[in-house]
Amino acid sequence: MAASVSPESFTMVLFDQPAIVAEVERIAALVGVPSGEEVRVVVDEAVPVARAHLASVDPLVLEVEGGAFEDPRHPRQLSEAAVADTVGRLLLQALDRRSAAFGEVPADVDIPLAHRVAWDVYAVGRLQRLGLDGQRQRRIYGFRNRHGFTDVADEAFARLWDGTDLTWADITRLSDDALAARTG
Amino acid sequence: MKHALPSEELARDERFVRNSFMARAADPRVTAMPAEKRNQRMPLSPDRADGPDAARALMHGIFTGEIQALEGAGRTCWDFPIGDGPDEAPFELKLDMARQCWDEARHCEISVKLGDWMGTEIGEFAESTFLYDAACNPDPVLRLTGVNRALEGLAIDVFNTMREFAEKSGDPLLGYCEDWMLADEVTHVKMGSDWLRRLTADDPDRRARALEFQKVVDKLFSIGGARGEEDDSPIRLARRFRELAGFRTEEIDEIAELSLQSRRELDSYREHAAAKQAAAAAGEA
Repeated sequence: MAASVSPESFTMVLFDQPAIVAEVERIAALVGVPSGEEVRVVVDEAVPVARAHLASVDPLVLEVEGGAFEDPRHPRQLSEAAVADTVGRLLLQALDRRSAAFGEVPADVDIPLAHRVAWDVYAVGRLQRLGLDGQRQRRIYGFRNRHGFTDVADEAFARLWDGTDLTWADITRLSDDALAARTG
Repeated sequence: MKHALPSEELARDERFVRNSFMARAADPRVTAMPAEKRNQRMPLSPDRADGPDAARALMHGIFTGEIQALEGAGRTCWDFPIGDGPDEAPFELKLDMARQCWDEARHCEISVKLGDWMGTEIGEFAESTFLYDAACNPDPVLRLTGVNRALEGLAIDVFNTMREFAEKSGDPLLGYCEDWMLADEVTHVKMGSDWLRRLTADDPDRRARALEFQKVVDKLFSIGGARGEEDDSPIRLARRFRELAGFRTEEIDEIAELSLQSRRELDSYREHAAAKQAAAAAGEA
C-alpha cells in the first residue's frame, strides 16, 4: 500500500504531511484497498471548509479541502481522526463503486443530498465496525435532518449503519422510504 | 473572591479549549482562499450539505455563550456594592441578575442535552470568550448594556436562527427548546432596557456613553456580518423578537446598519490583504 499526499509541505496550516501519508496508508489497508495500489490525496490547504470528494476511482484520487482534516478545537492543526473519517468514508465508497454487486451509482453531482447522506451512513457504520469512532449520534442527527425525525427514518438509519453487503438500490430504497414517511 | 475577573481566569475543566479572535484573524487562509470563496456566507439551513454539522457547531457556541452569560450576570451580582452611586448597583438590579443566572444555568443544561441530541461532545469545538469580555466593563450601566442588550440581543438572533433551522428540518426537540430559551432571552433584554432607562433617567451623559458602548459591542457581535439582515447572513437579525424585548425600530435599524458596516469592513480587509499577498508573491517570482 502506498499513499501520496500533496502538497509535500504545508504553509498555511500546521499539517504534517508524513503523518497524513501514514494515516491514509493505515486506513486504506483497513478498509481493504488492494495492496500495491496507490491512493493519492490532494489537499487544498487554502480552504478551511470540510468538503472532500472522490476525484477518481481508478486510480484512487481524493480531493480534500483543508478543513476536512482540521481539528475543530485547534484551528490549522491536523486531526488524525478527521483524516481517518474522511479518507475511510471516501475509500469505502470508491470500493463500492468498483463492485459489480453494489450496482451502478450515478456521478457524484447527480446524487441527491438524501441519498448521499444515506450512503455516508452506510460507509461510516462500516468504519465504526473496523474500530474507528463513527460518531453515531452525529450521523443519526444528520440523517434525521434529511429524512425526517420519524421512526421510519430511525429504522432506515439502523439498517444502513449496521448493514453489510448493501447495494446502491438498497441504500436509495431505504432513503426514499424514509423520505416518503416524512412527507406522507 | 476577586472583583472584575478577567476572561483568562474563568474556570473551565480540561475538556474546554480556548481560541482567540487574534488567532483567527491571523489565519493566513482568510486571505489566501480563492476569491469566489473568500467572502462567501450562507444562511444556516438543513439544505446545506454541511447544515447539520454547522448547526452542531453553533449549538456548541451557544452552550459556551450560556456559560459566559451566566458568568457575566453573576459577576454583576458580585462586582458592585449595593447602592445608587455610579460604581454601585441597586439591590433590585442584583435580584434581576440573580434570576438571570438561574435562567442561564438552566440554558447551559438544556444546551448540553441538545448537544447530546445532535451528537456533539462538550469541548468538541473551541471556545471563544469574546462574549464574556464584553461583560467586564467597570461601570454597571455600561456592563448592563454589554450583557443584557448586546450579548442577550445576539442570543435572541441566534436562538431564532436555530428555531427556524429546527422548523425547516422538522426537529421537534431543538425547536421546542430554542423557543423556550428565546422567551427567556427576550425577558433578559427587556430587563436590560428597563434598567438602562431607570439608572440613567437623570444622567443623559451616562446614558449616551452606555448606548455608545452598546454600539461598539453590537458591531463586534455582528462578527464581520455573520449576523445581519442580508439574504446570505448565517444569523438573521430577529426584528420581531427584538421589538418584544423593548428595542425601538430605529435601534434595530442601527444594529442592522452596524452589521452591514462590519461586513463591508471585513470584506474590504480581506480583499486588501489578498491583493497585498498576491503582489508580494508576484514580487518574489
